[in-house]
Amino acid sequence: MIVSRDVWKSFDGGKTFAVKGVSLEVAKGETLVLLGSSGSGKTTTLKMINRLIEPTKGTIEIDGRNVMDMNPVELRRSIGYVFQGIGLFPHLTVAENVSIVLRLLGRPKREQQKRAEELLELVGLDPKEFADRYPDELSGGQQQRVGVARALAADPEYLLMDEPFGALDAVTRDILQQELLRLKEQLRKTIVFVTHDIFEALLLADRIAVMHDGRIEQIGTKEELIKQPATDFVRQLFEQPAKHLAIFSAVLHEGAQPSSS
Amino acid sequence: MTYHRWDEFTFEPNKSGGVTMGDWVDFVIQRLPELQQKLIEHLILTGISTVFAVAIGLPVGVLILRWSFLRTIVLSFANAVQTIPSLAMLAFLLPFFGIGVKPALVALTLYALLPIVRNTYAGLSNLPPPVLEAADGLGFTRLQRLLYVEIPLATPVILAGIRTAAVISVGIATLSAFIGAGGLGDFINRGLALNNSRLVLLGAIPAALLALFVDFALGLAEDWLRPGRKPKAVRVRTLIFAGLTVVVLIGALWANQVARQAKVGGVGVVRIGTKNFTEQLILGELLAQLIEAHTTLQVERKFNLGGTVICHQALVRGDIDLYPEYTGTALTAILKLPTLGEPDEVLAIVRREYRLRFQCEWLEPFGFNNTYAIAVRRKDAEKFGWQKISDLKPVASKLKAGFTSEFRERPDGYPGLKRVYGFGFGQVVDMDPALMYQALARGNVDVICAFATDGRIPAYDLLILEDDRKFFSPYHAAPVIRMEVLQNFPELRQVLNLLAGAISDETMQRLNYEVDENKRSPKEVAREFLAEKGLLIAR
Repeated sequence: MIVSRDVWKSFDGGKTFAVKGVSLEVAKGETLVLLGSSGSGKTTTLKMINRLIEPTKGTIEIDGRNVMDMNPVELRRSIGYVFQGIGLFPHLTVAENVSIVLRLLGRPKREQQKRAEELLELVGLDPKEFADRYPDELSGGQQQRVGVARALAADPEYLLMDEPFGALDAVTRDILQQELLRLKEQLRKTIVFVTHDIFEALLLADRIAVMHDGRIEQIGTKEELIKQPATDFVRQLFEQPAKHLAIFSAVLHEGAQPSSS
Repeated sequence: MTYHRWDEFTFEPNKSGGVTMGDWVDFVIQRLPELQQKLIEHLILTGISTVFAVAIGLPVGVLILRWSFLRTIVLSFANAVQTIPSLAMLAFLLPFFGIGVKPALVALTLYALLPIVRNTYAGLSNLPPPVLEAADGLGFTRLQRLLYVEIPLATPVILAGIRTAAVISVGIATLSAFIGAGGLGDFINRGLALNNSRLVLLGAIPAALLALFVDFALGLAEDWLRPGRKPKAVRVRTLIFAGLTVVVLIGALWANQVARQAKVGGVGVVRIGTKNFTEQLILGELLAQLIEAHTTLQVERKFNLGGTVICHQALVRGDIDLYPEYTGTALTAILKLPTLGEPDEVLAIVRREYRLRFQCEWLEPFGFNNTYAIAVRRKDAEKFGWQKISDLKPVASKLKAGFTSEFRERPDGYPGLKRVYGFGFGQVVDMDPALMYQALARGNVDVICAFATDGRIPAYDLLILEDDRKFFSPYHAAPVIRMEVLQNFPELRQVLNLLAGAISDETMQRLNYEVDENKRSPKEVAREFLAEKGLLIAR
């Protein structure tokens, strides 16, 4: 379980805050989506969990231990991290990328190889075809599959995902979202997922935390957010899918006639 | 090991009216063993200094990435070092490291540092941020990130720096010959001293080829270490390159074999050294030809060493067996003793000290005394009846003297002259040693400080005044030889002493003049002299 209590973060010594008093809980096996536009503080909130960024104020606990009391290297190895930039190591093959953490842990070569093959299969890449390729020989979608496999190498209980599909085209993104749903069912990891895409949030989330200007506007299930929005911001946000749907059905039912606007 | 003949001069392109390709090939084949040796020396100098520079530069590059306050200091220092002219650098290092390979390595390492430090820093500071974020997110320690991610990814840039450094080193290493560190620069130096373009090219062309080779080889290494799969072109290029290298190596070995077989199997070898000016080259030839004519020994000519200290060290270390030295120079420059006026006394002292300290023997002097001397125009001397320096005293205040700046400062120069003779000249101007003879002949000055055996003294109709107060230290030249060699080949003493007292000041002036002004080779001039004296008659 991840618990953060009244977490603040300033990057300029206290003049302005990127995160302002965020408190949230992520239950075991749950997927929490941090939803917000850019600058809302969602990525900062995420990165404070594995201490890529350290909080200015407040505490974050994982399974009851304050992350600031933990060794950052061990902390990060126990949490998978996937992000938009992917960051595959260009000088290593796909298999080497996937098993790099095991190599750092000093696991035997055979175990590294076996695990890499397992994980590649898990993320839908044929090891025979992909294991010995280099990252620049892969498409963007394939690269992010490798990124996910790499994050899972040490079998972490937690997975932090920072807009992992943000840079992919719509079709690829759709496929990978479905794959992630499958993985979620299969692996039962606790996932914190950052996105600005409301559809992605609705698709993947067990609960959603809507962030705006460094604060959490509302946190709850999809139904709660849609039916009982706590603020105007949340209401307007969740009116968007309905608007899009209206435009879509208008086009569908009235044939080629566009709606008057 | 190498018994090559010293016949640069048999191939003087301008005199023989053009050289054929065949001459060139002969010339190169003849020098192949020496070329090989110099090439290896050159490779060692370059290789070791580059390894040093990598060993220092790489950690420094990493350090300044972490500690920004050091960055400016380190990079400016490395930049500043790079702007020091190579010769100035070698001169600067001389007092700390002496001569030879050590200071050369220090200088080369310093020059190689900048590109390596700069590229290490540049390579490490320009890595893609997502890759670093991934490493952090996956729980790499700082060291693991450096070793597994940053350095491998920066390797092509770092290697480009090493490549630049190595190519610079190949070039600068040619200058190491000035301080006796060997390498291909030896040919270039020798060629420049003798105005022999063929010898210069024998050093310069292999040095240039070596630079290209190093550049290409390290370029290939760069391609190989670039992250990701190697393009086919790189593999093909590597294969071709490796193939060519093997072919060249085999060719070189074979040619070397041929050259070796062409040599006469040596019985005993005497290695003769000289300093790097005309008179020494002539004396070296005289000694060499005498030995060749009167003994069965092979002579190896290691001429044109960079100066007194280098010759002396080569002798003491046993790199050469003998070389011509001057008594006064040995007394002051080697033994660091005060100057003396009495020639026999000086000879006796250096003889005794050399036996004791260096196990070397001074044979009989050739006769001439290449000391400082006061020279005037012959017609002035005749007109005013000047014969000795004291004769100038009454008119000295009206005379204009042209002295080298060294002579003006040295205690055994002008200051001492004034003290001993009790007069100074009305006006003294600084002159370049190369120009003062002409300046005197033209009447720009009335008196100069000459070197007694300079060929321009008779050429410009000048006259040396007698040093009647015995002020100038004697600089009598004589062969200095290692005792061990004398014991092994006792006949050498008698043979070399054939020249004892055989060369007067005037004779040496004439011989120098033949080489300096008439552009004849030291070898030819020496042979002519020996023939004249009847010293070349076969045993």
